[in-house]
Amino acid sequence: MVLQGALSHHVLMNSLTPTQRDRGLRRLRRLTFGATAGGLIAVVGVGYAAAASYAGKSSSSGTSQATATTTDTTTSSSASSSTTSSDGLQSAPQAPTTGSSGSGTVTSGGS
Amino acid sequence: MALAVKSWKALGTSVLVLSTRDDRLEATTTAVRQVLEDVDAAYSRFREDSELTRVNANAGRSIQISPLLATAIDAALRAARLTDGAVDPTIGHAIRVAGYDDDFSRITGPHPALPHERGREIDPGERGREIPLRAWHVPGWQAIRLDRRSRTIWLPQGVELDLGSTGKALAADLAATAAMAAAGDGGVLVSLGGDIGTAGASPAGGWRILVAEDSRVKPSGDGDVICVPAGGVATSSTTVRRWSRGGVILHHIIDPQTGLPTTGPFRTVTVVAGTCLDANIASTAAIVRGEAAIDWLTSCRLPARLVENDGTIHYIGPWPDPSSVAA
Repeated sequence: MVLQGALSHHVLMNSLTPTQRDRGLRRLRRLTFGATAGGLIAVVGVGYAAAASYAGKSSSSGTSQATATTTDTTTSSSASSSTTSSDGLQSAPQAPTTGSSGSGTVTSGGS
Repeated sequence: MALAVKSWKALGTSVLVLSTRDDRLEATTTAVRQVLEDVDAAYSRFREDSELTRVNANAGRSIQISPLLATAIDAALRAARLTDGAVDPTIGHAIRVAGYDDDFSRITGPHPALPHERGREIDPGERGREIPLRAWHVPGWQAIRLDRRSRTIWLPQGVELDLGSTGKALAADLAATAAMAAAGDGGVLVSLGGDIGTAGASPAGGWRILVAEDSRVKPSGDGDVICVPAGGVATSSTTVRRWSRGGVILHHIIDPQTGLPTTGPFRTVTVVAGTCLDANIASTAAIVRGEAAIDWLTSCRLPARLVENDGTIHYIGPWPDPSSVAA
């Protein structure tokens, strides 16, 4: 049965002129492209609708909250670039050097 | 380069602003004052009208908060996460029970008054008795629910936030950033009780910092001086803000595991980091963690100076060699 179907298809293909075959292939390409684009649009649309309708939980207890607590607090005061870890304490852009007290020295100590 | 300097008191501590632009000092100090006023209104633990007081008084209910308080709480939660809870904002009730329940200037003295005694005359004999030491279980930062998008917070009943540790350091960073924006160019340093934030270009060689155990030590005093081109510096110490309960000398750095002031081997820790906030997180966590702090700070690759209770000093990471004094 399968063999018969394949055979009839082969015969039909052979009955087409090159022009007809090219036209068919172009149509097939258009259909493939359209289906792919439509699928992508549908995925994005459904995703957007899902995100808009459910904003997610504000937080939860335990380890999951630890993950939710992000490191994106905007507290960096340095104009220079710093060594940043996405999930760790931020290093100074340059290591401190030894100095001597003089004008403009500031004390860092407990308070 | 001559630096323009301005100092005053705010947030119960000393404020120092340094600017590389003398002609912008007024603008920078105005910006810093504004940030500190905002910070005080948002998360002072001792103001009855602060937002934080309102949040603490409404545990069990979802409360909408300002962007500043949300940032401060977010920073405190990040600190707790990065230190495995060594720096925990839910110590609020524990530190109050331990005795730090008012502006520190009203707690200190030979015979600190009990909360109910303040504002009335106390018989001198009555005043002389010892106040018992009490501890309170720290509920843990995981109990806090902060929705950053809607800026709402929910605390379980009995949970009280204290942003004292990270809050001051965050304020130094925010103030430095605001001051720099007001100045336009040059560089700014803001010190809040020894927690130092910087912004913009430093003076040649970097900002000079005297590392001490007490921020009240004069900058010309003895000690290690380091030059920091950018970032922040923070020092946590058990040698300051001390009081007495039950015959025990206490300090303000609470170990969340015990609900009492820490009793580890280090009395003072100074850290240099990308921000004052991160330096403070590391220095506070190091005091709480005790011996384990050395390996932890090493893994964080943050330069640090640790002073043991007997005065022995340890240097961690790329902390400059104190024996090689530069010009």
